[in-house]
Amino acid sequence: MTVPAWWKTDPCQPFQLGPRTLPGRIWTASGCFAYGLTGHDIGSADLASPFLGLGAVVTKTVTPEPRSGNPMPRLCELPHGAINSIGLENVGFVAFCEEVLPALEERAVPSIVSLAATRPDQFGEMAARLNECGAGMTHWHGVELNLSCPNVAEGGHDFGRDPETVARCVAAARPHLTDRALLAKLTPNVADIGTLATAAGVAGADAISAINTVVGLEVDLDTGQPVLPRRYGGYSGPAIRPIALAKVDEIVQKTGLPVVGIGGIETAEDALRFFALGCVAVQVGTAQMRDPFAAAKMARALAGN
Amino acid sequence: MSLISKTTILRSEGSVLGNIPVSSGLLRLDLELDQPVGFLPGQFAMLNLTGPLGLVFSRPFSILASDGDVLSFLYRVVGRGTSVMADLTPTAAMNCLGPLGRPFPEPDPDTPTVLIGGGVGLPPVAAWYARYGRARDTAFFGARDCQDVPWDLLDERWRISVDRMTELPAGREAWQGLVTELVDRDPELKAPGKRRVLACGPMPLLRAAARLAAERRWTCYLSLEEHMGCGYGVCKGCVVPVLEPAAGADGVRNATCCQEGPVFRAEDIAWQRPGYPSFEQVD
Repeated sequence: MTVPAWWKTDPCQPFQLGPRTLPGRIWTASGCFAYGLTGHDIGSADLASPFLGLGAVVTKTVTPEPRSGNPMPRLCELPHGAINSIGLENVGFVAFCEEVLPALEERAVPSIVSLAATRPDQFGEMAARLNECGAGMTHWHGVELNLSCPNVAEGGHDFGRDPETVARCVAAARPHLTDRALLAKLTPNVADIGTLATAAGVAGADAISAINTVVGLEVDLDTGQPVLPRRYGGYSGPAIRPIALAKVDEIVQKTGLPVVGIGGIETAEDALRFFALGCVAVQVGTAQMRDPFAAAKMARALAGN
Repeated sequence: MSLISKTTILRSEGSVLGNIPVSSGLLRLDLELDQPVGFLPGQFAMLNLTGPLGLVFSRPFSILASDGDVLSFLYRVVGRGTSVMADLTPTAAMNCLGPLGRPFPEPDPDTPTVLIGGGVGLPPVAAWYARYGRARDTAFFGARDCQDVPWDLLDERWRISVDRMTELPAGREAWQGLVTELVDRDPELKAPGKRRVLACGPMPLLRAAARLAAERRWTCYLSLEEHMGCGYGVCKGCVVPVLEPAAGADGVRNATCCQEGPVFRAEDIAWQRPGYPSFEQVD
């Protein structure tokens, strides 16, 4: 591709995010590239590895206890995106710290650990433990708080919809991450994402990841019922890119905080649209499922500028 | 045989070499890739159109055969993806990720193999038979009717069943009924002894094959079909409940069909797990 004249940044060069230097600006999004341990055995004619040029793999979200996830079907493909309801299936925080994090370090995978919890204080507990387990690790770069989960302690409302709760989650994790980046991933399913981003920034987040998936539902006409057993799922893919760009713009304009853009990024051109709005990095989600090299191809296309 | 290591997964660009019906409902796609891709019987590949025409998710197809840099697949038009595929003409660009998943086991020297394929589930068993088939192995294939049997892919060794008897091609035979019934009636297989079933097809066929194998104390491997998001184990969108005593209170764990399967031992599958409609709709 021809890179536009206004683009002057090499996304494969290190950059500073809070207290941490990240190796690059093209990342993979949580839930779309597993823990960063899958795909190392995949090659192609022009790129030797899907991990080439990646600034970070944001891991599949890890919860305090293991989760087996939701019943099938978990995916519903639509013409311009997909709705998922995986249910945060994961190995649990203990197994992650004991097995996954050391393996990521050994393989030199640059990682951001995505965390979810059911109470704000659990974010603090997990951040503290990660800081112990990851002490001395050079490839673990930070934590992304997945704030789109129900807050069990406060009536089951999503953490991410209430500025005070967002602030409590971020504040709980911050003191334990003195030399790692702390990101708050926000849901777009709110009226005022700027206020939530402000709350996260005041509480100490180094950056905002935006956006998480958009709530969606599809109906099976044969049965008259929703396709997904849990009715609603998270809509992702190219259809949500304009929504993501608008939410990112709102956060940048209102807060001036560093933003990591996510939402329907499939090509280097898509990534540039987010960089044009001021994003410091981008994450590739659904496109990474279709092509393990999606993010690596973007890094290659934009590198060397 | 390909020069590429059997375990290497490759993302390849390719173009359609052939895309023709091989029966009334089955089509064969031959895809010429930019590099040779090897496979083991039972493995699959994720296929998609290239560039802006690409579907949000690639589609999984079992590999029928490989010849140098050409991979062959069978498919039936069942949805949007396969409808688009059916219209592709030679030179159309496609991409391919594969080979993926765990294959069927290689032949056991002491155990005759019973291969059971149904409809579009033919490729894994046909590929196994072509690569490893011995005189003491038996192969069965079930189709809707005689017109839906891809006769050119099945030589006289195959025993064919059809749900509905229609006009047979000259010199060929078929039996009317379920393919698993044909297996059940087979006089040779009534003789006591170890057997190993390898089956691929619709869920009722797989359940019947598993039941028959359990009754006769045969080992049984099934190649399952699930809708998949990624095909390479990253999205957790295609799980199959498997029995694992150490896994939680109910002793069931979700295994990824794409990475831990698509071939599973029948006895490992938690058939009664609620919330898995593909299993529950059967009986």
